[in-house]
Amino acid sequence: MPISDAHVGRSYPATAPYEVSRAKIAEFAAALGDADNPAYAGDDPIAPPTFAAVLAAAAWDGLFDDPELGLSLSRMVHADQRFAWRRPLRAGDLVSATLTIEKVRVRGAAAFVTVAVVLSTTDGEELCTASSTLVHTNEVAA
Amino acid sequence: MSEMTAEVGQHLPALTRTLTRVDLARYAGASGDFNPIHYNDAAAEGLGLPGVIAHGMLTMGTALRVVTDWCGDPSRVLGYYVRFTRPVVVPAVGGVDVRFAGTVAAVADGVATISIEAMCGEEKVLGSATAEVRLG
Repeated sequence: MPISDAHVGRSYPATAPYEVSRAKIAEFAAALGDADNPAYAGDDPIAPPTFAAVLAAAAWDGLFDDPELGLSLSRMVHADQRFAWRRPLRAGDLVSATLTIEKVRVRGAAAFVTVAVVLSTTDGEELCTASSTLVHTNEVAA
Repeated sequence: MSEMTAEVGQHLPALTRTLTRVDLARYAGASGDFNPIHYNDAAAEGLGLPGVIAHGMLTMGTALRVVTDWCGDPSRVLGYYVRFTRPVVVPAVGGVDVRFAGTVAAVADGVATISIEAMCGEEKVLGSATAEVRLG
């Protein structure tokens, strides 16, 4: 059975904890052309806000590994992205990500799948919710 | 943390970034997103794209610099939304300019809503891009 609104509400196990490091923050800030921002340097840096997407995307694997949904990363397009932060991610945070399917809309061969990924520390503190709409196009039989 | 002020209609300092293939390789490594449409022309064209395109999250992350450069402290950013409307095609030689601008769209309850524009040539590459910034 392909993905449908019957799958709304389905959650996947939290990803393995990821430790945010000063080196990774510096690398990510440089990739945004923002290496000179002092908030991302020093002894106790915060991560650039959109670094949350890196940890959220790790939770997307739950979708692609779920054989019931019939989804493939190579047929998926990222349509929109929303973040709501409680506080910035910091060097030293141990973070895992939990994905829930929020909404599914099927239009012909395309499925619009909205997922919400909650990033939390291993102590249970919620840091950020990263919500994405992913458009999956099924192969159409000729 | 000191209080900031923002007025509806206020323009934030604009920013232009020239994106090259090296920038895409660097973002792929930093983010772990190695989708070949971001470095392999054949893979991109196979999906009907004109060529290698920038990661949407690279454009989204760079666009937020308009806000964080203005407010100074990225921890003031409470929320951020974009739609990915058009791909940013990055040539094999040279680069492509993406222009970013921001305007204060609303101020309420100590939070400013910033409307962000991202243009590549004459095309808007992000739609409905807005960020919420804590002023207090």
